[in-house]
Amino acid sequence: MTVHSTGEAPPLPQAQRLFALLADHRVLVSLVALALLPWLLPSKALAVNVLIYGVVVMGYNLLFGYTGLLSFGHAAFFGTGAYLTGIAIGRWGLPWFAAVPLAIAASMALAALIGTISTRTRGIYFSMVTLALAQLVYYVALQASSFTGGENGLRGFTVDHIGLFGAQVNFLDPVNKYYVLMVLAAIAIWVQSRILNSPFGAVIEAIRENEQRARACGYDVERCKLIVFMLSGAISAVGGCMSALHLSIVPLDILHYQTSGMIVMMVLLGGARSFFGPFVGAAVFLILEDVVSLWTPHWQIVVGAIFVVFVLFLPKGIWGTFLDVLPLARQRR
Amino acid sequence: MPNYETRLRRTGISRRTALMGMSAGVATLAMPRLGRAADDTIRIGFPTPLTGPFAAEARDQVKCAELAVKLVNDKGGVAGRKVELLVRDDKLNAGEAATRTLELIEKDKVHAIVGALSSAVQLAVNEVTRARGVIYVSISQSDTINEVKDFSKYTFHEALNPHMTTAAVARQTIKKGMKVAHLVADYAYGHEMLRGFKRAQTAIGAESVGEILHPFGAADYSTFMPRLMSLRPDVLCISNFGRDQANAIKQAVDFGIKQQMKIVVPVILHNQRLAVGPDVFEGVVGGANYYWGLETQNKTAAEFNKAFRAANGGAIPTDYGAYGYSGVGSLLQAMQAAGGTDTDKVIAVLEGLQYDLTKGPQHYRKCDHQSVQSVLVLESKKKSAMASENDLFAIVASDPGADEMLRSCGELGHAT
Repeated sequence: MTVHSTGEAPPLPQAQRLFALLADHRVLVSLVALALLPWLLPSKALAVNVLIYGVVVMGYNLLFGYTGLLSFGHAAFFGTGAYLTGIAIGRWGLPWFAAVPLAIAASMALAALIGTISTRTRGIYFSMVTLALAQLVYYVALQASSFTGGENGLRGFTVDHIGLFGAQVNFLDPVNKYYVLMVLAAIAIWVQSRILNSPFGAVIEAIRENEQRARACGYDVERCKLIVFMLSGAISAVGGCMSALHLSIVPLDILHYQTSGMIVMMVLLGGARSFFGPFVGAAVFLILEDVVSLWTPHWQIVVGAIFVVFVLFLPKGIWGTFLDVLPLARQRR
Repeated sequence: MPNYETRLRRTGISRRTALMGMSAGVATLAMPRLGRAADDTIRIGFPTPLTGPFAAEARDQVKCAELAVKLVNDKGGVAGRKVELLVRDDKLNAGEAATRTLELIEKDKVHAIVGALSSAVQLAVNEVTRARGVIYVSISQSDTINEVKDFSKYTFHEALNPHMTTAAVARQTIKKGMKVAHLVADYAYGHEMLRGFKRAQTAIGAESVGEILHPFGAADYSTFMPRLMSLRPDVLCISNFGRDQANAIKQAVDFGIKQQMKIVVPVILHNQRLAVGPDVFEGVVGGANYYWGLETQNKTAAEFNKAFRAANGGAIPTDYGAYGYSGVGSLLQAMQAAGGTDTDKVIAVLEGLQYDLTKGPQHYRKCDHQSVQSVLVLESKKKSAMASENDLFAIVASDPGADEMLRSCGELGHAT
């Protein structure tokens, strides 16, 4: 973007203004970058996955990066969003645009439940409680097989056409699918930006920096934690809805703790505390997996080694480090 | 604001390095776009779990599928067109398999998909292919895929299904009035096998004395064994797959279960028997789609073994490997007869195709596209009876394929 200005010369005022402009319109800039994605990546299916995981990790980042709560159970919200979208379309016969809000609302309710229990604890106990409760959701989905398809996964809700303003759009076409799903992603990105720009966004960052002090300032820390937990769960659930519409199956693995672990890895890779970092993390992680596994069945060695290198040398993640190197951005990110 | 030098020292990244890194990144992304296959090639997508607990079986499947493609290409291809196999690692994960299948269809423009090695994964692949009208030949056991809910005219099932396998095994091992106990892996595969065994034993007139479920991937079976022994059954059916099978049988033998009852498995796995050794498996009976030792009584098996040995340095093909060969082979035969890749024509040919690739005649039943084929029942040999390192099993029975072995079309929900 503004690479030309990283040199020896003192930064140009125009460049600084340009960056400030970009930072002020981060939703728009993110959307332009994401709109180009399908044309840059090796396949459209991969681009959709980057979009989906980007949204999930972005929602997670609200809790982890901005509030400082390390949840290890976000697969529960990702999975619930996906399962309810599928069940609402396949079993209850709802149209997709009704199924999606329903699934998000249900995931938010689940987040309220899990959040009420888990935000009473802190540190490693918080991580463990979220992990345990998410596993509970996994086993419910496994056992209620007449409802969720159990081990075999949820099937039978393929959305092949979508009515948009009277026109029928072929949803099986990968390009159409990407841009339709991007509308959902765009709403999630805008909501996330609004939350962070609001006074509430400042409060959660204050809690991250010093919980005692935030409490002393008169903020109801417990209530804020619960609200941010619910918002985070709801935004991650948007990714789940997108995943269900994209794959037209919901695999049981979506609720597995490995998915939660992958979300944490992606946010660390991209950079917690940065707005666009989650998308960078999801993209790098998924591209590495995709491209390297085409070359060799021992792709895990390569991907693992690269991940270790990133964690050791770029503790702020790829995007966080990039913003650090950029002198203009240091003031505002 | 720190100057350039301090910044360089702090991050250790100069502009030049960053630019080099970025161009390397762009080049990496561009790589898969280069070297696309010429457009008249017939491309077969092959998703399979090259990593994970079923990797050994998956590698055998790939070797056999590659052999099937090579033999066809050596004879000039299908209708004059070369055939290419695109192998993808599905990581034994249904979501990953669906994504890979989408990539194969949308980017690589494959003409058909063969593969997958788990009930959940094949159903995911099937969901993607049937929505897009692409032929899919599944080569892993499942009863669900035959049922009307998951079936489509594009779905073909080359593997045996739990119903056929358990019925054949039960016929050889369970007699009227016997008491039967079950140890079952608690997931789709185990449940389907249990259902098959119970149905077969009811028909025979045997009595079920108990079922114990164990979690998928369990390492410790010691708590189950005393409970199973206290049920005093004549036969113990262990319905699990891969490493679970080897671990469960090993621990059952340690507890002295074999002195008390016969151990029976729905599918006896070549690779697991190799991994554990003859003493543990001695006397265990199970079903199989293929065993290389069939070559002494079957001409097709002898030819298949010969071709595989020539291509793989004298190694022998395994049970799950043979699925890879017959799955790809039958599809290519149908394409040859249809004179190309036109989906409707290939389906019409497949529905009437009589093929004999690994072990005798096979055909796809019209209503559910299940491959009607022979089922082998094998007994693991004791060490002193083995003529060579690969002489693992004795063939107890080879039931020729017949429609009566399958659940009826009506029962599966198909119009009859």
